[in-house]
Amino acid sequence: MTDLALGGKAPADRDRILRYLQDYGVYLGVAVLLILNIFLTPHFLSAENFRTQAVQVAPVLIVALGMALAIGSEGVDLSVGSVMALSTSLLSLYLGYGTWIALIVALIGGAAIGVANGSLIAFIGVQPIVATLALMVAGRGLALVLLPQLKDVRDPTMASLGSGDVLGIPYLVLIAAALALVVAFVVRRTTFGRQLLAIGDSRPAARLAGLPVRRVLILVYVCSGVLAAVAGVLATARLTASDPTSLGNLMELSAITAVVVGGTPLSGGRIRIGGTVAGAVLIQLLTATLIKHDLPPSWTQIAQAVVIILAVYAARERGKR
Amino acid sequence: MKPTTRLSRISARTLLATGLAASLALATGCAKSEDDGDKSSVSKDQGDSGQVVSEPSEGSGPTCAIDAYGGKKLDLESATVGFSQSEKEANPFRIAETASIKAEAKKRGVKLLTANAQSQFSKQISDVQDLIAKGADLLVIAPLNSDGWEPVLRSAAAKHIPIVTIDRKINTKACKDYVSFIGSDFVEQGKRAADQMIEATGGKGDVAILLGAAGNNVTTERTKGFQDRVKEKAPDLKIVFKQTGEFAREKGQQVTEQLIQSKPGIDGIYAENDEMGLGAVNALKGAGKKAGDVKIVTVDGTRNAVQGIVDGWISGVIESNPRFGPLAFQTLDTFTKGTKVSQDIVIKDSAYTKDNAKADLGKAY
Amino acid sequence: MTDVLSVTQLSKTFPGVRALDGVDFTARAGEVHALIGENGAGKSTLIKVLTGVYAPDAGELTYKNEKVSFATPLDAQHAGISTIYQEVNLVPLMSVARNLFLGREPRGRLGLIDFRRMHREADEALRRLGVRVDVRRPLRELGVGAQQMVALARAVSVDAQVVIMDEPTSSLEPREVQTLFGVIRMLRDRGIAVIYVSHRLEELYEVCDAVTVLRDGKLVHTGPIAELDRLRLVSLMLGREIGEVREEGVTKFSGEHAPGTQPVLRARDLTMRHALHGVSVDIRPGEVVGLGGLLGSGRSETAKAIAGALPTDAGSVLIAGTPVRSGSPPAAIRAGISLLPEDRKAEGIVPGLSVRENIALAALPGLSRFGLVDESAIDKIVDTFMKRLRIKASGPHQKVGELSGGNQQKVLLARWLAMNPKVLLLDEPTRGIDIGAKAEVQKLIDELAGDGLAVLLISSDMEELIEGSDRVVVLKDGTVIEELTGSKVTEDALMRAIATTGGSHD
Repeated sequence: MTDLALGGKAPADRDRILRYLQDYGVYLGVAVLLILNIFLTPHFLSAENFRTQAVQVAPVLIVALGMALAIGSEGVDLSVGSVMALSTSLLSLYLGYGTWIALIVALIGGAAIGVANGSLIAFIGVQPIVATLALMVAGRGLALVLLPQLKDVRDPTMASLGSGDVLGIPYLVLIAAALALVVAFVVRRTTFGRQLLAIGDSRPAARLAGLPVRRVLILVYVCSGVLAAVAGVLATARLTASDPTSLGNLMELSAITAVVVGGTPLSGGRIRIGGTVAGAVLIQLLTATLIKHDLPPSWTQIAQAVVIILAVYAARERGKR
Repeated sequence: MKPTTRLSRISARTLLATGLAASLALATGCAKSEDDGDKSSVSKDQGDSGQVVSEPSEGSGPTCAIDAYGGKKLDLESATVGFSQSEKEANPFRIAETASIKAEAKKRGVKLLTANAQSQFSKQISDVQDLIAKGADLLVIAPLNSDGWEPVLRSAAAKHIPIVTIDRKINTKACKDYVSFIGSDFVEQGKRAADQMIEATGGKGDVAILLGAAGNNVTTERTKGFQDRVKEKAPDLKIVFKQTGEFAREKGQQVTEQLIQSKPGIDGIYAENDEMGLGAVNALKGAGKKAGDVKIVTVDGTRNAVQGIVDGWISGVIESNPRFGPLAFQTLDTFTKGTKVSQDIVIKDSAYTKDNAKADLGKAY
Repeated sequence: MTDVLSVTQLSKTFPGVRALDGVDFTARAGEVHALIGENGAGKSTLIKVLTGVYAPDAGELTYKNEKVSFATPLDAQHAGISTIYQEVNLVPLMSVARNLFLGREPRGRLGLIDFRRMHREADEALRRLGVRVDVRRPLRELGVGAQQMVALARAVSVDAQVVIMDEPTSSLEPREVQTLFGVIRMLRDRGIAVIYVSHRLEELYEVCDAVTVLRDGKLVHTGPIAELDRLRLVSLMLGREIGEVREEGVTKFSGEHAPGTQPVLRARDLTMRHALHGVSVDIRPGEVVGLGGLLGSGRSETAKAIAGALPTDAGSVLIAGTPVRSGSPPAAIRAGISLLPEDRKAEGIVPGLSVRENIALAALPGLSRFGLVDESAIDKIVDTFMKRLRIKASGPHQKVGELSGGNQQKVLLARWLAMNPKVLLLDEPTRGIDIGAKAEVQKLIDELAGDGLAVLLISSDMEELIEGSDRVVVLKDGTVIEELTGSKVTEDALMRAIATTGGSHD
């Protein structure tokens, strides 16, 4: 009588390697890119450069944190890019009342889209991919109805949010880092986090164990919506303009990539926040490397695709275990 | 499938629609944006900067007359004109283009029907069919694509409806499927941008290009014109960097940030539209550069970019004039009166430099 | 009668399971052949081999006097073997006629579908089966019974030689069942071989000519159904002989409890369409009540209805006299009802989470303060139950998915015991776990009842059910047909009760 179901020796070894790759491959990737760039890219090793990369990755990372929650619940949130657009429209539209009121309205907009996503999924039983696709289309449309074209933001508070810093660390980077810590804490230490993982791993079992499945699911998408709205606000501050036409375009793909590359399985039940941070950084470094060396833009897409395929391959092989 | 599925599908849709409508009402109902006080900024100044044909149209190039096209003469004043716009009026170019058509129709007292394809080609096809069905005698089309127009144009030609396409040419036979094309020469815009860049940098140094969206003919042609002219006139001006900013300000800013990290000595940036150029300005400001350290030349002629010249950040802006109204209606008028018109009407775009930017700021769109 | 489709010495092994072991089976033209057996007997594997879904490991398949092997289900279909599954596998959005002729639509000139002809032929085909519907309507607008008829009509109209029906009546109304039987008899008279899978004994005796009984992958009986009485049939299926002397001490149950006098659980008239028709069960504290009956008799549905996991159409559940909101697992859990579901892997454990997280799952809100998890409180509970239930794992952080079935079951028991439940509903608690662990779980059930818990025990293992229960409530077709108490709790009595005529809900 064995308690452990073990395969043969060779598959077990391969399994270990794949597991290791899925868990830590992303850190390895970041390290390799850093080393390559230090040797090959001129002026790479400078505070200014690291600052640039960190500032550019901040909004992607914030969106990816929310995406990690959605994916951990065996869902996905395709509406994040549109939520960014909606938040920038709302922000611009309400700046007349003052910065803080406009910020709050923008975040409420994100939360509202989250409630809509969550309700469709939890109460009506729509597939997450379909529900959030609907809100992706509707959200972008709403953003463009509210603000049909790019509009400059001249608010000084917003401008300093976008370009200011504390001891040389930009506000954007501080906010993203703080949010990553908060989300990691939520996943590890709260009832909500535990229940979310159980629901993501086995929804029928979670239901029969009496978990508040609907409440948790709605909260997941509200978190994702609010985080996307935060990212939209920060991107607006950096651009000093509201551009609902192009802000957040394809953001859902960048965020999903960061999450998956970071070792969070698409099948739910597991969330790796450290990996998600590293995943976002990896993609940022990859893009930056290709741009700095002036390689054709299509290469960036191909390189990203290769990274995604590798990540999904490692995850899939493990899933077969 | 459970029997409740249908019910829930309906309620899902209703829920969504109601929710969106309610949120829209809430969001717009009490909105108050930064500058609600001064409603001055956009589109008050129509008319005074309508397009001018770049070269004398008579005699040069093929022409089209009403007998050859097969239509009948009519009086434009009493006719109905249909206008099919390709994209949502979400950027200054489209806004100015549609506004110009509407203003000219109003000025001439012509009845105008409009439709917007919202960037969906299939919708534009049905838009055009609708316009014909609603009784348009003449059509002005801003095409989303160059291809795929034959069937709908054939049916228009069968009814002898004169068609003028603006800003983008379509790949069918002129004077058979449509009368004339009115638009800018994007290659020429690229060349003139190169001239400005050569002047600003003194013809020496390293420059970068912020490309437009990949696979777009505007991108290809503006790039070609720029590169050809630089090669020909200023061999010492080296193009060391070409990356896409996808015609968006944010992307332009991000790419420029990478650029100035890895090539701090860059002398000039050619942005294939104003938005990317403004993104580049953001990036330069963020990196602590001063106005004029890096020469920026852009294409389009929006108010923000021309203001950038006044502020010293941008060296030159090549205009891509969106005000097709006067020229389009003039062409239709001439044609329907029986006089022949040119099949290809290339408009003359003006340019903004530090010499005229302040004075001409009002002309920018 | 001629043999149409037969298999000899058929074997099929899946990792860890010998699903079929040297089985012989023959379907004859103009005969309705019942194929029966309890869970894991090998019925579905046999059907899947017959229809080309699985390739057998050993044995021969003979069809119309030729040796054959079907590579795909499509091959079998083309050869004339049609299958009608429990769940109708048609296209709900297409019209009835399109569904009937899917893939072989009558074509007119230009290769276009000749709709007029298709509608006419579809209408005729359905009329022959006694079904009158508008064939132009989408299939999904029809009732389940009518949909089943369309599936049947489709099967018959492709010139089938063999028609296999897998529990065709499970979601039909009584009137529809009669129509179906009419059709089956018609098929038989046309010389078609019908293989009929069902758990409803009445149906078998009403419509079948021959019967084959499988148990644990082996053939235990085959022959004319008329020569087999009900009691004998039941005993063959369950693998217990009538009057067989019971070995004492095979299970770990002590057998005797001292239940309280007032029932803690009262389930009244639980009703669920197609599954339960007014089931009532009472359990007193310290009492183990067994739910007996064949597969599909409504045992699991009763447990799930009590636990709020399935919505009921009528009926009530009371815990210590207080009604419990139906259809809500959290409400049932708050009231003190815990369910160990039959499908442990899909509905019980959360495989990717650790032993620790699984044990703490249901009790989490009680082990948290302001939404933050109290780790030390969890450690204490997990430690207590891992020791008390002797859960074998490399540690509390091992994933539950990696444990053996017995230990998974213990983790689930620990999850519920951490909630201090009043009522424990155990649906097949020892299925699929090895003998040692089985004995441990049985002993545990005994102890829990001894501690004053009210236990509902469902088991296909007759011995376990009889020895473990103080009382046995026997279900048949969603109705309580008998209650065995005291000295009447015997295997013989249970089999006799199951084999009794009647009890059907119509």
